[in-house]
Amino acid sequence: MSFEGKRCYFDIAATTPLDNDVVNKMSDTMQRIFGNPSSIHSFGQESKIVLEKARKQIATAIHCRTSEVCFTSCGSESNNMVLKGILKKGDHFITGSIEHPSILKTADFLQNKGVEITLIQPDKFGTISISKIEESIKDNTKLISIMSANNELGTINPIKEIGDLAKQNSILFHTDAVQSFGKVPFNASELLCDFISIGAHKIYGPRGAGALIIKAGNNLFPLIHGGGQESNLRAGTENIIDTAGFGKASEIAVNNLEKNIQTIKYLSAHFLKGLDENKIEYRINGTNQLPGIFNITFFGVNANDLVINLDMEGIAISAGSACSAGVVKPSSTLTEIGMTPELALSTVRISFGKLNTTEEIDYFIPKLSDIILRLKSS
Amino acid sequence: MKKGKVLVAMSGGVDSSVALLKILELGYKAVGVTMKLWEYDDVGGNILSDTNCCSIESVTKAKMVCDQMGIPHYTLDFTDIFKKDVVNNFIEEYLSGRTPNPCVRCNSHLKWDALLEQAKKLNADYISTGHYARIELVNGEYFLKKGVDPKKDQSYVLWGISENTLEKTIFPLGGLTKSEVRAIAKKHNLESANTPESQDICFVPDNNYSRFLNDTIPKEMKNIQGGDIIENEKVVGTHSGYTNYTIGQRKGLGLSNPEPRYVRKINSTENTIEVGKKDSLFSNLCKVTEVNWLVNHPELPRNAEVHIRYNSPGAEAEISGSLTEVLVTFAEPQLAITPGQSAVFYDGDIVLGGGVIV
Repeated sequence: MSFEGKRCYFDIAATTPLDNDVVNKMSDTMQRIFGNPSSIHSFGQESKIVLEKARKQIATAIHCRTSEVCFTSCGSESNNMVLKGILKKGDHFITGSIEHPSILKTADFLQNKGVEITLIQPDKFGTISISKIEESIKDNTKLISIMSANNELGTINPIKEIGDLAKQNSILFHTDAVQSFGKVPFNASELLCDFISIGAHKIYGPRGAGALIIKAGNNLFPLIHGGGQESNLRAGTENIIDTAGFGKASEIAVNNLEKNIQTIKYLSAHFLKGLDENKIEYRINGTNQLPGIFNITFFGVNANDLVINLDMEGIAISAGSACSAGVVKPSSTLTEIGMTPELALSTVRISFGKLNTTEEIDYFIPKLSDIILRLKSS
Repeated sequence: MKKGKVLVAMSGGVDSSVALLKILELGYKAVGVTMKLWEYDDVGGNILSDTNCCSIESVTKAKMVCDQMGIPHYTLDFTDIFKKDVVNNFIEEYLSGRTPNPCVRCNSHLKWDALLEQAKKLNADYISTGHYARIELVNGEYFLKKGVDPKKDQSYVLWGISENTLEKTIFPLGGLTKSEVRAIAKKHNLESANTPESQDICFVPDNNYSRFLNDTIPKEMKNIQGGDIIENEKVVGTHSGYTNYTIGQRKGLGLSNPEPRYVRKINSTENTIEVGKKDSLFSNLCKVTEVNWLVNHPELPRNAEVHIRYNSPGAEAEISGSLTEVLVTFAEPQLAITPGQSAVFYDGDIVLGGGVIV
């Protein structure tokens, strides 16, 4: 549909628009570079250089070696790759019960293949406790996977401590850092992670580009067999354009990290002030969240109705996790942290990013207030 | 004149798409919604082979049509209530030996109420669907009338909606024929112009009720055994399980008589099927319950044209009894009056009301 009038995008945690510099980088690559990076000739070499420059940008941004960056198509692929590439029948796997579906559904799949699974339930804020993981460790525990920050709540997990625990017990440790990479300081060299999943589209890069950081000394089976690309770990002719964008986006995100965090904190405070001034009743869920992610319960209001009404006003927020047909069910993340289905169905996620403005929030708050009042009275 | 906003129920088919087009032509604002009622893989089907309404393909088509017309589209989840109110009832009715009409039940117990509630929440004034039926205002009273296309008229499945919802409902296709609707869709190059006709019950897209029941309630179906076929109180054959039969059925009885036999009664508690010659299937009486009236002051007894199945000609009858349960006395005996189906009462084109045949 074509929307006339003002539009505000407050769903940064779902995906981000492209940064202008990323657009320029991709556009330039798209127009000039097309060779197959595996080719010997100059066309191939040009492509290879684009790919390796992007790899270097990402390695610098996350503090790892370039040889540790394996490009994939998305965070979900990176997550699948670790689980399916490591776990065999008879192995034990520990993960959280509010991980991304690309972990949970893969765990289900592997359970049917004979992998033993333990799901750790988070506390009421969405944090995974180290002691719960420690209690679950068995002789055959092969891998622990805990997300760096939860995509719905924004809650940040104690990844460093979990990595230490895994190392003490000689267990491999993976973290899904798709939501946190580029939004808070993330230093792979200080963390004892064996594998880290990241993606481009949460940091103003393109959709369709991700990476798995595989710390030196670790090995795993590829998900996609074929040519020898990505050190035999991920076959398929490389996606030069999106990868170039991913590299640029990582560089920009990390170079501007503190500035962006300050901007988003300012916007967040402005938003909360607006809610209070308009006497809107709400509760924020989670704790120690990523900047700008608000998981909010508006009591007595159906989240889906709120999202649709706001959308008709040009304002984008999110309810639960989007699925293919656009149907919204109570979020299992929220029920796992002990919320009743009723409250979960009254909960939305509003997420701000570096491109949002206080003017947008000033446009948003009265509309939000009006719609909540109308929905409560109907 | 400032017109209101209309919530248009979009299935992704050609009818609801043209309904939306007409709503916009009439000068209303519109928002498209698709009611997600049913997941085919809930009953062991393959989600990728599902092309009926509620499939991802249909929802996407509805979205594309809304995009073509520049209006927003949302998918609303009604799977839980649909399962509880429509699908489970369909199963219970079959297990009781009746032949239910789930479309009627869906319209009266789910669709209208849910759509009107949603309309209110989205600040819309009216709801609209692609049904072939008309609503007319005469002397301050709203009447539900047949669609002008006799082959497509769908007023039969609408008898159960509340009378007070008529003023909030718009049927833009009531004055059109199906071929006109197809022509409009083609002329405007609508995404859904070539969508095939959906005739079957939406949640049994292969039209195979035995398969549906076996997949959905395997335990209960295991308990349904073969039993006796009875004619004039004598056992004349064996049936394969009473859920495999419907009233009026001739084929598949495994009887060899010079004159064909038909199913005239299904007795689920005794696990028997009663058969008879064609003339034994005629009756001029039927009892109708759960009656809903769509006119303000129905006075009984009265004469009406009564339809006892979808897309069949009506028959002259007298309706008597109370306002919720009536006795229909036909002028001429009717063939195979089927318990579970709807009896709908008409005065010319006007739907007076209807109910479920006992």
